[in-house]
Amino acid sequence: MVTPLAPRGYHAAEMTDAELARLAKGGDRSAFAMLVDRHAGACLRYATRMLGSREDAEEAAQDAFWRAHRAIDRFDETASFRTWLMQILINRCRTAMLHRKRRTARVVLDEQAIANAGTPSRAGDVELRDALVRALAQIDAGQREAFLLKHVELLSYEEMSAATGVGISALKMRVQRACNHLQILLAEDRHA
Amino acid sequence: MRDDGHLPPGLERATELLRDESHVRPEWRAAVMASLDRDDPASSIRPVRRWSMRPTAAIAAGVLCAIAGGALTFAATRWSQPARATLAAVDTGRISRVRFTLVAAKAARVSIVGDFNQWNPTTLPMRRSTDGQTWEIEVPLASGRYTYAFFVDGRVARDSAAAESPNDGFGTPSSVILVRGGGT
Repeated sequence: MVTPLAPRGYHAAEMTDAELARLAKGGDRSAFAMLVDRHAGACLRYATRMLGSREDAEEAAQDAFWRAHRAIDRFDETASFRTWLMQILINRCRTAMLHRKRRTARVVLDEQAIANAGTPSRAGDVELRDALVRALAQIDAGQREAFLLKHVELLSYEEMSAATGVGISALKMRVQRACNHLQILLAEDRHA
Repeated sequence: MRDDGHLPPGLERATELLRDESHVRPEWRAAVMASLDRDDPASSIRPVRRWSMRPTAAIAAGVLCAIAGGALTFAATRWSQPARATLAAVDTGRISRVRFTLVAAKAARVSIVGDFNQWNPTTLPMRRSTDGQTWEIEVPLASGRYTYAFFVDGRVARDSAAAESPNDGFGTPSSVILVRGGGT
């Protein structure tokens, strides 16, 4: 659900992220709300699959938006807001994973996220999606991060590097290894 | 190496299904917007924050910040002389000025990276002290838990003697500091 922006004499929905960020720097709450609406879905999707829990994902994403709002004055409008926001979110997810290590076993499949997702168009899609979610939870966190950014969030390697602080070559290697591992795990899942 | 963005068919279909997941709960969105004016992102979804649950929080009321680690050993093999780091914090209300100190005489450039600067090695360069042995910086930090590391001549080095030095799963060496603001 998107809360309509208050009338302000401009059409926020038609503005670029940079234009909205400029307004947000000036204290325009509606402009920041529009940025939240544009990017919240992707942030929650990434964090849910990275952390394996919708609850943890919501906390991490909320934290990321809070930090983005606090730091909006330092955002370079010539850069990509999405990449900048993802950089913050990635760090929040990394931090959340540190805390998670002290907990017990995780619930990998997030029923709410699955329930809220679109109805699979093909028979077997539910099983396929669940299998990938389980497989993602089993691979190295760095590989999972790179795979999600590249193939789910569709960032370029340049954007990924800017957001993660990891070099492009290393990211390519992580994505490749993630794909290899995921294929193996999916195959094992099919034959289980 | 396959880095052209194409996936094998089975993996591609499953990944497409993940891309379809972008639901945002209205309650969560409202909580996000409501949190923006707060001094910390304490969630109305999850009101008890992790640091508020720590038993040592009780002794921090109104006074000082925690000191994470006393004397820290920096064991990078690049330097023949082990580098040592210390940090101290002074509470100035809600924001604490945390002083990070690293002994790394042979380092040419040192900065600190962490959650507080998005791990950007350019924003918080450390200054070499007059003795030429030590690098220092003071960082204003709100109460909370931060993961950090030293960025020494292009290499990330954690506090190897820290009480908590968890592996983040990414191979990045890091340390943890708990900052306890006095509040009022």
